[in-house]
Amino acid sequence: MSKLLNSIAGWGVNIAIAMTALRTNLMRSILTTLGVMIGVFSVILAVAVGNGAQVSVTQQIATLGSNMAIVVPQPDSGSGPPRSTDRGRLTERDGRAILRQVSGVSAVAPQIRSSVQLVTPGRSATTQATGATPEYGIVSNVAASEGRFLTDGDVGAAARVVVIGQTVADKLFADANPVGETVRINRVPFKVIGLLESKGSNLGNDNDDQIVVPITTLRQRLQTTAMQGPDDVTLLFVGFEDEDSLLTGQREIKRMLRDRYRVPKGRISPFTVRTTTEIAETTGQVTQIFQAVLVAIASISLLVGGIGIMNIMLVSVTERTREIGLRMALGAKRSDIRNQFLVEAAVLCVIGGAIGLTLAILAAAIFQQVADFPAPVGLDTALMSVAFSAIIGIVFGGYPAIRASRLSPIEALRSE
Amino acid sequence: MTAPLLETHDLVKDYVIGGEVLHAVNGVSLTIKRGEFVAIMGASGSGKSTFMNMIGCLDIPTSGTLLLDGIDTKTLDSDALAEIRNRKIGFVFQQFNLLARTSALDNVAVPLIYAGLGYTERRERAQAKLEAMGLGNRLQNTPAKLSGGQQQRVAIARALVTDPLMLLADEPTGALDTQTSLDIMGIFQKLNDEGITLIVVTHEPDIAEYAERRIVFRDGRIIEDAAVKSRRRAVAG
Repeated sequence: MSKLLNSIAGWGVNIAIAMTALRTNLMRSILTTLGVMIGVFSVILAVAVGNGAQVSVTQQIATLGSNMAIVVPQPDSGSGPPRSTDRGRLTERDGRAILRQVSGVSAVAPQIRSSVQLVTPGRSATTQATGATPEYGIVSNVAASEGRFLTDGDVGAAARVVVIGQTVADKLFADANPVGETVRINRVPFKVIGLLESKGSNLGNDNDDQIVVPITTLRQRLQTTAMQGPDDVTLLFVGFEDEDSLLTGQREIKRMLRDRYRVPKGRISPFTVRTTTEIAETTGQVTQIFQAVLVAIASISLLVGGIGIMNIMLVSVTERTREIGLRMALGAKRSDIRNQFLVEAAVLCVIGGAIGLTLAILAAAIFQQVADFPAPVGLDTALMSVAFSAIIGIVFGGYPAIRASRLSPIEALRSE
Repeated sequence: MTAPLLETHDLVKDYVIGGEVLHAVNGVSLTIKRGEFVAIMGASGSGKSTFMNMIGCLDIPTSGTLLLDGIDTKTLDSDALAEIRNRKIGFVFQQFNLLARTSALDNVAVPLIYAGLGYTERRERAQAKLEAMGLGNRLQNTPAKLSGGQQQRVAIARALVTDPLMLLADEPTGALDTQTSLDIMGIFQKLNDEGITLIVVTHEPDIAEYAERRIVFRDGRIIEDAAVKSRRRAVAG
């Protein structure tokens, strides 16, 4: 126990010696610290931005709705985006068949997507219109924050009603309440019946820049791209009761569509069935690579900072050769000398790391405010950075420290 | 019967300079008993400093035996030698070798750090030694705020702080004026009277006369080893 206390006290002495040495060359110490500071700053910020991207992606996936499969009439192109060239057909009848035949399906939301122009007196906006049924609200977690969402009645009557996103509302109505107002969509007057719940934006993708109209209305009044049949849809959202039925359901839907469209064996199916879980995994991988690249680049500056430490420690050892000789004459062991310089390097690095961390937290907060992008600096990141900078100190201070400890006492004492 | 404090047999230190072997110390055998006050003299290059460095365990002999307090130093590794320097030997240098921008108290406490003592004990013992050197009112002064004589007294306090068996002083008065030199030799004589062994390297004959035994080196060998006749006594403070 007293041995432990002594060794702690020994390190305390080393820290005191280090602080004195660093104060003696204050300007040099500050400049050296700066290197580590910038390194730690950029690494932490990179980690924070990377974390933010992942949070953002997770939110984006959540806005899609969980336990959902997306059916698109395009051949599967692996993990990349579906190829738009060889578009097949997909119909509302397919959707109804899926609901009837595939187990665990809670709802199917057929959709037609089309780009539209909206006009109110003096203002206009271009956005994406989704022709949908009330199931769209259930499957993909969409609801009206004001007014109401679509009903079966709206769809049955092909009513000229629209539920608009917050961004669209801002563009067309500024601060006024849009519910009950009229907007012309592709020159056709529509009544605004609701405002979509805001889902924010992720990675520059504004989830509030969209409108929803009854699928029947879109088909009759707003369709710009020709469909092959009166029943055709752009895609289907299939909601499942739980994750297990989602996994089996995905296979069942694929098989069922092959049967319904009589796709011969050996031919690639013209349908892609992608689950939200898969999408989350793919985008998660992408953001992880993004983060890794960021951190790798930032690490280079930390490496440069570390080399700066090594450089200065070598100078310090050379300058203080005589002091090293004296300390050895007074009874310092090699390990004492080594530890003294290690601690000095570590102190430089930890101070630099602490300042870098503080600045990174500030920068992340500012970034979050200005760019509206989450950049969380967690406790783990903070601890990691402190540990990281101490390790930098030990690694890059190690060589000079060992060199100092290997000096012969008499040669060190004799040096000028 | 305890062993002599210091015993050397045929001690040799060679340096290789430009392909030629230089015998800095060339076969020195000598015994120094506990409580002696020895002056080592010789011209520069005579080997006296090299000899001093070896008996101070700062330098390792090329061959021969060095017994310090009965221990054969050949058997010791660098850590054990560091411990001997710390516990058994106190060094006093010509240029004082105090740490700049460090108080007298902290300077004196440095050897105690390596002896593994705690903060409070280090300070108490360092303060006691400084007070014994008459520097009780200079504890917080840095070397820059001390005269040469005061700095050398701080250095002596530092050499004594671990209560060593012997004090090795290499030209301790070389950087001091006559009166201050006298003061320092007075301190050495007083310490010697109290029982500590003193070995002083000097090239000044009158400084050597404060010792009780004089050893003269030339070309790496001892050419004279005799008691000092008409030994001087400094007025000890």
